Amino acid sequence: MQSKLSDIELIEQTLAGDQSAYADLVKRHQRFVFTLAMRFMKTREDAEEVAQDCFIKAYRSLESFQGGSKFSTWLYSIVYTTAMTALRKKRVDTDSIDDENTYIQIENTGGYDVNNVENKSRSFYLNQAIAQLLPDDATIITLFYKGEQSLEEIAQTMGMEANTVKVKLFRARQRLKEKLERNLKDEVKELI
Amino acid sequence: MNTVEEKLWNYIDGNCTPEEKEAVSRLIEQDEVYRRKYDELLLLNQEIAAMELDEPPMAFTYNVMESIRNENALKPLKARVNKNIIRGIGLFFVLTISVILIFALASIHWSAGVGARPSAIELTLPNISHYITGPAMQIFLFFDVILALYLGDSYLRKKRMAKEDISVQTGGQQPKH
Repeated sequence: MQSKLSDIELIEQTLAGDQSAYADLVKRHQRFVFTLAMRFMKTREDAEEVAQDCFIKAYRSLESFQGGSKFSTWLYSIVYTTAMTALRKKRVDTDSIDDENTYIQIENTGGYDVNNVENKSRSFYLNQAIAQLLPDDATIITLFYKGEQSLEEIAQTMGMEANTVKVKLFRARQRLKEKLERNLKDEVKELI
Repeated sequence: MNTVEEKLWNYIDGNCTPEEKEAVSRLIEQDEVYRRKYDELLLLNQEIAAMELDEPPMAFTYNVMESIRNENALKPLKARVNKNIIRGIGLFFVLTISVILIFALASIHWSAGVGARPSAIELTLPNISHYITGPAMQIFLFFDVILALYLGDSYLRKKRMAKEDISVQTGGQQPKH
């Protein structure tokens, strides 16, 4: 069955002219690529555009994929550079992308009623806190926990040393914990 | 390793040596502060690991594939020409020029003498006039006409297919790009 084929086999089929094999690759990786794009772009529309752009770029340069690393690592490095470029372009006339405050935004997800605290689970606050992190911090956490990437692979994706990634991951988790605690504290204050 | 948190994160991630691992697990067992901090970080670790990925729109794959198909259809014809054809044409010319050159050099009368003044090279070309007969010319022209019709037809087909691809793109299910 097509769904059981490995990434490398699907790539080989794509290079042989079978576009449906590439559609399977897209289906397999789209959720993670879209989530990574969301870590940078914040709005679904922008994230969708970036994610699409990444898959098109990957298709164009599929021949250059040597198979020395996992396809996902190669794809995520495309996502990282594309999202960074898109973010710089988007914010060129506004604040610096290093300004942490520019990322503080409260995202109202789907059917959630922000005023109804009882409905909010801890995972809601976690997502909210991740959305408030700097893109690099959010990306490292996402790659480490959800991308099945080792520190070395994350280093390859982000063009850093593995030790730097280790330090950044530690700091990102610290910041995430702080934001999570602050958000929860604010909600408690609102209740009182 | 600097802080308690850093030690504990390394312990949770499995990034410490067996000695460090043993030391940290002993501290967690014996020290109340360590144990509380460890429980707190472990909970956070589990929560992050259980976090859901964002779901892209339903038509995401379709949009990507349509963009790729559209891009391929719009690719200029010259970019799609097989490189082997170009190489073949180049080889044909090189061979033709080489044959003419060899033939010309072979037909030079080198025995004309060292001190003799260089004169115009006398080329004795083979008499091919008897090959260019009426029927041969007709066959040649007929072949040319068929070839021209074939090439014209394939060019028009490609043009029509590219137009159809674009009209599908801009039709009912409108993609992003």
